[in-house]
Amino acid sequence: MATANMLVINPLADAVPNSGGKCPATEQPVEIGLVKAVLDGDREGFGRLYDLYAPLVHGILLARVPRTEVDDLVQDIFLHAFKKLHTLRDSSAFGPWIAMIARNRAVDYYRRSRETVEITDEMRGTDKQESKAAEILELIRALPEAYRETLVLRLVEGMTGPEIAARTGLTAASVRVNLHRGMKLLREKLTLTEGV
Amino acid sequence: MNDDYLWDKSGEPDPQIQQLEEILGTLRYQPKPLPLPRQRNYRPWLAIAATLVIALLATGLWLRIQNKDASIPSVAIAQQKAPIIGPALSVSSASPDTPRKPTPRTVKYDRKEAIAAKQQLMFALRLASEKLNAAHRRTQDKRSSYENTLPN
Repeated sequence: MATANMLVINPLADAVPNSGGKCPATEQPVEIGLVKAVLDGDREGFGRLYDLYAPLVHGILLARVPRTEVDDLVQDIFLHAFKKLHTLRDSSAFGPWIAMIARNRAVDYYRRSRETVEITDEMRGTDKQESKAAEILELIRALPEAYRETLVLRLVEGMTGPEIAARTGLTAASVRVNLHRGMKLLREKLTLTEGV
Repeated sequence: MNDDYLWDKSGEPDPQIQQLEEILGTLRYQPKPLPLPRQRNYRPWLAIAATLVIALLATGLWLRIQNKDASIPSVAIAQQKAPIIGPALSVSSASPDTPRKPTPRTVKYDRKEAIAAKQQLMFALRLASEKLNAAHRRTQDKRSSYENTLPN
């Protein structure tokens, strides 16, 4: 990718402290201020949105598309979001908005690449831990859609239930039910395959 | 079954969930820099284009006036060679088919008008040139200031 013509935002250089997604002074979600700042021309503000929401987008994609494609798709989705941010009507809905873009992009991915074959971990020769992780991920992907996304966000990305609810725009009750039922199904599958 | 640990990592940890977290954690998102495309600023180019259009229009107008201006002295000389003696004589000497010649007063008026137009045109050209220079300087300044902000 040519970077000569681009401004590179490094998430490591400008890390956002985990404030639970709320601005302490106003108790408003931080993304409201960040979205407004970006629309006013503050490109660094988009870097912060990227830091906050990249794990969410990564998790959503990981629950749907091959792992090898996820990183590139995450960047594509954020570049798309950067260009289309002016179309977002409600600044507080950045999370649900970008989550929807990610889900749509995952659907598009399968529409465009039906004939491709995912390179498995056996083909790649990765270590045992990663191979095991890939196996469990496949089991999660076999679960109903509502459960797999929530479980990936919880178990892979390390987000808590309230964080998942806040970022995706789902109600806390829905997330809790999805986690509970999804985990139950996953335990059954793991027992069947003599997993963990 | 207590779901508190699954819900918000509080309460007594579930060993199976912890083990899953540990294994699946290897697939977690690794922060990567996001290359944002540079937003193009079309304002200087619009200013340059507008200036060029103004300059072209001004040049066209100037050339037109130049042509008109060049015809004025010959008329004036012709007028000096054949002065008008009186209205009656001029009416009798002039044939009905010949076009009406301009009087010295109209010639003088046309010349003044031409000079004024020429001055206006020169002013417009100077203005266009200044605008072009200003737009060029602004583009140069923006480029140099952006290059200063780039990381080494």
